[in-house]
Amino acid sequence: MDTQLRDQVVFHLTGRRTGAESAAAAGLRPALLAAYRHLESLRYDFPVVLAEGEDCVQSLTAMVDAALRAVAPQGTAGEGMRRRALRIEREIRKLVAGGARGTLFKLWDAAAQAAAEAGEEAFAKDVARVRSALKPDGEVAGCDADLPRRLIRHAWSVEQRVKARQARDRIGKLVIRLENILRADHMRSAQALQKPELQSSFGGAHQTLFDFDAMSRLLSRGGPVSGLEERRRRRIEQVVATLKSQRFFPAAPGAAAAAAPAYDFEFPDPEAALKAFRDRLPQLVELWVAMQLAEIEVEGNFVEDVHEPLFAGLDEQAITPQDLEFFPDYLVCLASAEAPERAALTAALSSGVPLKVMVQVDDLLEEAVLGHGSLALGLRSVQLASTAMTLGDVFVLQSSASNLYQLRGRLQRGIGHHGPALFSIYAGPAGGAPKLPAYLLAAAAMQSRAFPAFSYDPGAGPDLASRFSLENNPQPERDWPEESFSYADQVLQSVTETVAFTFADFVACDPRYVHHFALAPRAAWGETMLPVRDWLASPPQDPASRVPYVLAVDEADLLCRLVVDDRLIRAAQRCRESWHRLQEFAGIHDSRVERILTRERQAWEEQHRQELAAATALIAAPAAEPPKAESRPAAAAAPAVEAEPARNPDEPYIETARCSSCNECTQINAKMFAYNENKQAYIADRKAGTYRQLVEAAESCQLSIIHPGKPLNPAEDGVAELLERAKLFL
Amino acid sequence: MSTASTCLHHLFEEHHVLEDYQGGVPRWCKGCGDNAILAAMQRLCRDEALRPEKTVFVSGIGCSSRLPHYMRTYGFHGIHGRALPIAQGVKMARPDLNVFVNTGDGDCCSIGAAHWIHAIRYNMNLTLMLHDNHIYGLTKKQASPTSPLGTKSNTTPRGSYLDALNPLSVTLGVQNVSFVAQAVDWIPETLFQIITAAYRHKGFSFVRILQRCPEFVGSMFEPWVHDPQKMMMLMHDDGIRLSPALQKIYKNVEEHDPSNIDRAREVASIDDPIPVGIIYRNPQVPCYEELRGAGALRTADSIRTSLDAEFDKFTIWPQ
Repeated sequence: MDTQLRDQVVFHLTGRRTGAESAAAAGLRPALLAAYRHLESLRYDFPVVLAEGEDCVQSLTAMVDAALRAVAPQGTAGEGMRRRALRIEREIRKLVAGGARGTLFKLWDAAAQAAAEAGEEAFAKDVARVRSALKPDGEVAGCDADLPRRLIRHAWSVEQRVKARQARDRIGKLVIRLENILRADHMRSAQALQKPELQSSFGGAHQTLFDFDAMSRLLSRGGPVSGLEERRRRRIEQVVATLKSQRFFPAAPGAAAAAAPAYDFEFPDPEAALKAFRDRLPQLVELWVAMQLAEIEVEGNFVEDVHEPLFAGLDEQAITPQDLEFFPDYLVCLASAEAPERAALTAALSSGVPLKVMVQVDDLLEEAVLGHGSLALGLRSVQLASTAMTLGDVFVLQSSASNLYQLRGRLQRGIGHHGPALFSIYAGPAGGAPKLPAYLLAAAAMQSRAFPAFSYDPGAGPDLASRFSLENNPQPERDWPEESFSYADQVLQSVTETVAFTFADFVACDPRYVHHFALAPRAAWGETMLPVRDWLASPPQDPASRVPYVLAVDEADLLCRLVVDDRLIRAAQRCRESWHRLQEFAGIHDSRVERILTRERQAWEEQHRQELAAATALIAAPAAEPPKAESRPAAAAAPAVEAEPARNPDEPYIETARCSSCNECTQINAKMFAYNENKQAYIADRKAGTYRQLVEAAESCQLSIIHPGKPLNPAEDGVAELLERAKLFL
Repeated sequence: MSTASTCLHHLFEEHHVLEDYQGGVPRWCKGCGDNAILAAMQRLCRDEALRPEKTVFVSGIGCSSRLPHYMRTYGFHGIHGRALPIAQGVKMARPDLNVFVNTGDGDCCSIGAAHWIHAIRYNMNLTLMLHDNHIYGLTKKQASPTSPLGTKSNTTPRGSYLDALNPLSVTLGVQNVSFVAQAVDWIPETLFQIITAAYRHKGFSFVRILQRCPEFVGSMFEPWVHDPQKMMMLMHDDGIRLSPALQKIYKNVEEHDPSNIDRAREVASIDDPIPVGIIYRNPQVPCYEELRGAGALRTADSIRTSLDAEFDKFTIWPQ
């Protein structure tokens, strides 16, 4: 026992093997991956179907489930159909894993042929029914090294098509309205009223019935003399020409091809994309200015004195990122092998050009530059995304390929983001570890925090809390995700324990680093072995007494323990550190917040204690006076009611707001009674008429809103009778 | 759009005064309620800065339908009962114009009844004002569908025999109704508020305006004009609110939520007191011109190609 422990400790500290525990570690996989040996028989997110429309990425599993829900009858009657459909799904999975390409329907038919059993007519019928309920059709993609590029390209081209359709609509409407203006002007011009044009505008059958000379003379006589002025006409024609000859958006599918082909927006590297953007900038500005001009012209709002100097001053500085949203984005897909220097990429992203860059990371565990065998963490590729986050308006999404389906909403947001976007995706090594499929490797990278998924969306809000999200990682509040793991022990009893998937487990999937592990014989298992998670959380005081291990299973599904050497532990520490940084970024275990909380809690407790002491002191003192009644503050005076200005009862007036403009009073005396700017009557000049007229107006006013008051001249004719009549209107 | 372009768009602003919208001098009788409606319409055009060249008033036949002559905008004085089809045609051909329809109780509820029902259903973005004076005025006093039972007129010298039609409940009974309001010409403040709301509503706005005809049925609305208690003011934050001055006079106020169709139908059936306010409003009903908007752009080329394709189906080749 002791010698074995000593050998293990030696291996752990120095990496040198003594004794016979050479790692037959090839062929071993981490214990938590034991259940996923046969991926084809499992129903998971992949393969995905790349379709058109809102949901441009759908998983085959979800589509088959939806189709079955739609057509399969409930209960046992539909069981047969369900089983057959699931069999087809398994076949498709096998075909895709074997490298088959094609659309969903093509693969479905191929799988149906492969899985059909002789003599089962119901099979073909059921399968055809489910096939008819599947919608929509699209290319099928499995989780392999090619997936990130295909997926992002697909999402980008769907977005581009939507943009092109909207742009075509908008530009087309403007062109039509501008051409209508030109045509209306032409039809009123002297030339259009000449005989040849009039003749040609009639249909063929009735030409002989009309004398076109007379018609031309008649029409030319009364028509408007002036048409569009020359400057405006030239301006409109120029705008129409610019709008029609734009090359940013392709013509509608099926429409006549434009004179010059539309620009291409996909480039192999960022420099080429930036160069293309700069080259096309004059045309972009021209098109944008033409659209502004067109929108103002069609409403008839163009005022030369005001608008012309403004438009003369418009250049590329006037274009904001929101304007650029209208124009197509540039796409660059980079495989890590071709990745340019980080500086060039960050320069491209910070330039503000609407550039969408996908960087595919192949290898997370490259050897360090220093070359003395210590593991570097693929620092370049992992730090790329973190650096891009600090650039401000860049949308950043880091994820492994296995998680891309879950993150499809976030991905679409990134593609639709108006500024630059960076997608950093890990899809497993290009060569592929032969034992483990790419999906598992990618998933392992995310589980083990070697390549955690995060997204930074500048459009989601003003602060970090709304922009940064770690939520797709499993158990983001923990260092390592923990799962419960059941196995049978030597006496075939079922044992369950919690196993964490750490960075060391991820490295165990890679055959290149097999020399960092040593197989521990069954007899040596005991108290001296610690799982890596516990080792990292609290390293033991005496390194010579314990060793860290990971749980693994071999080909025959037998459980083994692999001792991990110190270099790998140090690399795992570094991985844990950078995960902690990301956690703090996301607000999990935020150190500053915890310090503030502790301080506040202490202050609260202190205050509480003081209040308690004061209260006990008060109870102890018997001579305390009875508490005075709290005097309420005097009730605030009720808000003063808006007092109407005191009206002189002798003054005649009209309740103007209630006047219905019926002309009764204005027809009696247009100088005394006048309309205000709302065509409601008021007394304009009291002296311009007699008191009799005031009373008569009051009597004829249908709403009785004229109040004659008292007469100016008490000696007027019949004043007594008038006063009597005026009493009604006081 | 962004700041530069929105600035550019708002640089051009027109200012109009009431006189800009005054066409001819109205020939209505002294004291006619149509004057109040005209004043309110001119105020609306001025306050909403409607461009005269972008505004159309369409009318049928009747005293009400004289209104387009007195507005200095585009107008169409059409034939009896056909104001609505013409207005709908204008709207479909030129959806950018502001279209108003002026019609009377005879023009809309009698000869034009068929067009009225379907116009409600189509819900195009128009504003209809029904000048309801309960009589045929232009033809000098005959009973109309909204004349109350017992109205003495030239065609009913012993009093009309039938109960009056209630245009509000008829409108509320048609599918797709989206805006129904009632105003009276003797409370100009609410009249103005209601037609402003009707103009701003996107859809077919039906406003019934009870209008006095002093020449032929001068005493028709007397009780309601002089007794504020007989006016039920429908108030709501989604509807209209009275100014403090009017609140002192019109105390019969009911809080009525315009989105409640069932209560709206009850309120619409009340004759006495007269409910004034927005009775029903539903902004969610789709408009016909949007439903029928073609997906593809109607360019000259596309029209030519599709017409050619249709005609080719009937071409007779020489044998």
